[in-house]
Amino acid sequence: MKRELVLTTSRIDEATLLEQRTMSRGMGAVVCFVGVVRVDEAGQAIAALEYETFQPMAQHQFARLFDELEKRWPVESVRLVHRLGVVPVNEPSLWVEIIAPHRGEAFAACQFLIDEMKRVVPIWKKPVAYTSLTTPQ
Amino acid sequence: MRVQIDFYSYFKDLTGCARAFAALPPGSTIADLLRHLYVRFPKLAPMQRATLIAVGVEYQKPDYMLQDGDEVALFPPVQGG
Repeated sequence: MKRELVLTTSRIDEATLLEQRTMSRGMGAVVCFVGVVRVDEAGQAIAALEYETFQPMAQHQFARLFDELEKRWPVESVRLVHRLGVVPVNEPSLWVEIIAPHRGEAFAACQFLIDEMKRVVPIWKKPVAYTSLTTPQ
Repeated sequence: MRVQIDFYSYFKDLTGCARAFAALPPGSTIADLLRHLYVRFPKLAPMQRATLIAVGVEYQKPDYMLQDGDEVALFPPVQGG
């Protein structure tokens, strides 16, 4: 199974990620999920979310999840990009792509990966208020 | 023995630092370390039920026996995505 994990402070470039997609002729399903920062967090309007990670452990835990995913479903490729640092509202913080022979496997694998990421991968977010992004006069 | 403790997310605010060290008797467990830390950083104590613990890059339970030089990480529930 092809695996690609990127933890980055750079903006997620969906167009480039799509251009880089490769799949064999036996694959019939591509599931792509994009998580986007919402304007409201715990009932309050925010300007952004700031993401922090414990990177060596995050990479290790993602590798374990990819191992588990490979055992459970005939996935040909998994690519996951998680943005770190300040991510403004309306911008993607997470991009996941699963390629598998059939849609059922691809959807299930994608759901599993995101659910488990939210349970075990050490990434945290904190809201950034509008005033925090305002440049002082 | 001496272990390193790294705090993540808002645990850094509760302790006032990102990293601390602790000297513990040989054979100490994570539970022993936590008792030490709750005295040293009282604001961590109310978070007991919401504290995740790793040694190196693996999650561990309170009965895990620590070794000299272990790098322990303490953090709240994760929130990726």
